[in-house]
Amino acid sequence: MIKKLTLGLMFFAASSLFAEPAITAIKVSNSIDLSKTKPNDAIWSKAKSSTIICYPQTTIKLNDKKANELNAQNKAKAASISAIYNANSLAFKITWNDATQNIQLPQKSDIYGDGVAVQFAQKFDDPKKLPYIGMGSKDREVLIYLQKAVEKYFEPNKDIEHQVSRDNTNAFGDDLKKYDAAVKALAITEYHKVFVGEGFRSMTQVRSDYGKLGMDMSYKGGKWSAVFTKPMSDEYVDISKVGAIPASFALWDGDKMGRDGLKYLSSWVAVKFQGKKGGDALVDELTSEPTGDAQAGEAQVKAMCASCHRFADQNAAPAAMAPALYNIGGYSTSAYLAESIKEPNAVVVPGYNRNAHANFSWYSVDDNGTRTTTMPPMMSDDKSIADAVAYLKTLKAEVEK
Amino acid sequence: MSKRQLAMVMDLNKCIGCQTCTVACKTQWTNRNGREYMYWNNVETYPGTGYPKKWMDLGGGFDAAGDLQEGIIPNIEADYGVPWDYSYDSLATFDYTAGNEKAGLRPTSEPTWGPNWDEDEGTGNFPSDNYFFYIPRICNHCTNPGCLSACPRDAIFKREQDGVVLVDLDRCQGYRYCIAGCPYKKIYFNPKISKSEKCILCFPRIEQGLPPACAQQCVGRIRFVGFLDDEESQVHKLVHKYKVALPLRSDYGTQPNVYYVPPTEAPAKFDAEGKVIEGSQRVPVEELEALFGKDVHTAIKTLKDEKEKRAKTGESELMDLLIAYHHSDMFRLDNNYYQEFAKESGKSLLTPIDERYSSGKNTKEITHFKVHA
Repeated sequence: MIKKLTLGLMFFAASSLFAEPAITAIKVSNSIDLSKTKPNDAIWSKAKSSTIICYPQTTIKLNDKKANELNAQNKAKAASISAIYNANSLAFKITWNDATQNIQLPQKSDIYGDGVAVQFAQKFDDPKKLPYIGMGSKDREVLIYLQKAVEKYFEPNKDIEHQVSRDNTNAFGDDLKKYDAAVKALAITEYHKVFVGEGFRSMTQVRSDYGKLGMDMSYKGGKWSAVFTKPMSDEYVDISKVGAIPASFALWDGDKMGRDGLKYLSSWVAVKFQGKKGGDALVDELTSEPTGDAQAGEAQVKAMCASCHRFADQNAAPAAMAPALYNIGGYSTSAYLAESIKEPNAVVVPGYNRNAHANFSWYSVDDNGTRTTTMPPMMSDDKSIADAVAYLKTLKAEVEK
Repeated sequence: MSKRQLAMVMDLNKCIGCQTCTVACKTQWTNRNGREYMYWNNVETYPGTGYPKKWMDLGGGFDAAGDLQEGIIPNIEADYGVPWDYSYDSLATFDYTAGNEKAGLRPTSEPTWGPNWDEDEGTGNFPSDNYFFYIPRICNHCTNPGCLSACPRDAIFKREQDGVVLVDLDRCQGYRYCIAGCPYKKIYFNPKISKSEKCILCFPRIEQGLPPACAQQCVGRIRFVGFLDDEESQVHKLVHKYKVALPLRSDYGTQPNVYYVPPTEAPAKFDAEGKVIEGSQRVPVEELEALFGKDVHTAIKTLKDEKEKRAKTGESELMDLLIAYHHSDMFRLDNNYYQEFAKESGKSLLTPIDERYSSGKNTKEITHFKVHA
């Protein structure tokens, strides 16, 4: 009873400024094959949706000039997310506003498809040490489901004969129709992919039919709705024996040339399985408000961090000196922020391209490939750290109306 | 930087703009499946719009401090030109009795732009001081590639054995940052497969001791291929011994490995009466300096001096090199080098796949590419 009350209070707290809501996955019948679920199926009327905010990724700046201009003033996007589960699978439905439907086309080079992803942590037994939000980190791997709006396209090297343009064949009339049909049959119709990652650049695609299951997205009336279904247990992440899991979500806006790091991402969000026990520590960790004094934290962070990091109105640091913190409060957990201040080497985000900015290295790499961050431990007393975290959690863009 | 570096030298005095290299490359690599618009090798007229349009103004590369610069990604319609075909099917089904105004054989898309749209236009007033020359361009297989630095997927790699820069198509997700990062715009987006593709320096030929198709087919014999550290190679002699071959736009900071012998042999200008102005330079040396850097002055001097020496004494190693007597001397690929390497690694050929991810890192099944065993 007390537990229920706490949970209820936490959901109430979700509407406050800092705390993130949890998602409750509703139990449905085991006889339903969730991997076949579409966004508009009636089953979703049973689910409860939560509003999850996805913040513009600003930790790293990429090198596409036009895209950077288009994304310079990005606000955060709200996504409405619900979940259902049974003994076999967990399914998410994600709905978000997007004024333009962008579908990548096989004959155009300047169109970027809208997209959406869900990220699962491989290990989450210690809720204070979840993987780095940006595609995981060393020894804290993640599994990522990604789908994008694309028209049919070829995978390379599957078939050589049918790679020639129809006008370059010797076929006429019916033979040409046959050729077109063969080409169509060979094309891949969906961009549904699953990756394993341990940090920027490292994502490696899972090459099996595994990722072909359980993804779909549809656009109607200025909104995208997407479904992802993950088996409760598979060789990558087993979520069958727990009461709650962390998940995070990302959105791409093709209209703003969104792809890769040009995205909106949420922090780790707790997903509670209705009717299952356990996972309370995780839910607590991901839904609780920071305890420190943000005002005291602001003074400290501005004094101690601004020479290397850029954030809020602090833009004095060289652009490529260190991760930019403009939206760090939106997509990082309090535990991650505290850990990084106290122990910068706990998570050294791999994949920052040292060659692209030879004069500023975020970290050094020894002969064994071990990364050591350039950042020294900044604070050691719990009060200062809590205050700094409370301030850092306020660093995030406004939500788009 | 790779252990060794393959390089190509192109003698611009001898390029006649015949596009045989372009065709050799196209028929071998880019005539299908979304690559139709790509020219891994192109020959452009300079001064001219270039391919893609105004590529030198699109950013990418590094600044003096070594920071990767933002770039603009050209698009097919506006900057490369949509390749058109003539459909024989439309001819077969054409109704000749209907009194159509247009002929039956029509382009599949209305031609509005393409490579060499402004071929041979050049600049200046004909015949007194007009000029142009050709620049054949392939991927520079840079020592510090902008594309590689820009890739957020670790999908581009530089082979240790010969410095060839390749895209691992298994890892490429078609994000196109590489195109913004390459100041030469020599990496292309294939929209049909949604991946980036580029010149591979014909590595399957190279490994068998054959030069790249563009170099083999060049009728002007302007292309030399070899390892830069091989003192016997003509590439080494032209680049390091005589210093007459220079990289294109080295100010982009990528350390390109294709070198050019600058064009020095343009005819003199004419005056208003059509008489030769003795000693005049038709191709302004400032233009050459903008393309090939300050070293172009010494390169030009060396070329002129050696030419004179040859005329007077009948002897000049440099002139003999540039005459390009034998393919066997121009292409020194050190065949045995690749064979030895293959033996050591236990493979019969070099793998084109990036070794960093080939062990199945993170996933149980990583690739559908069949690498030769």
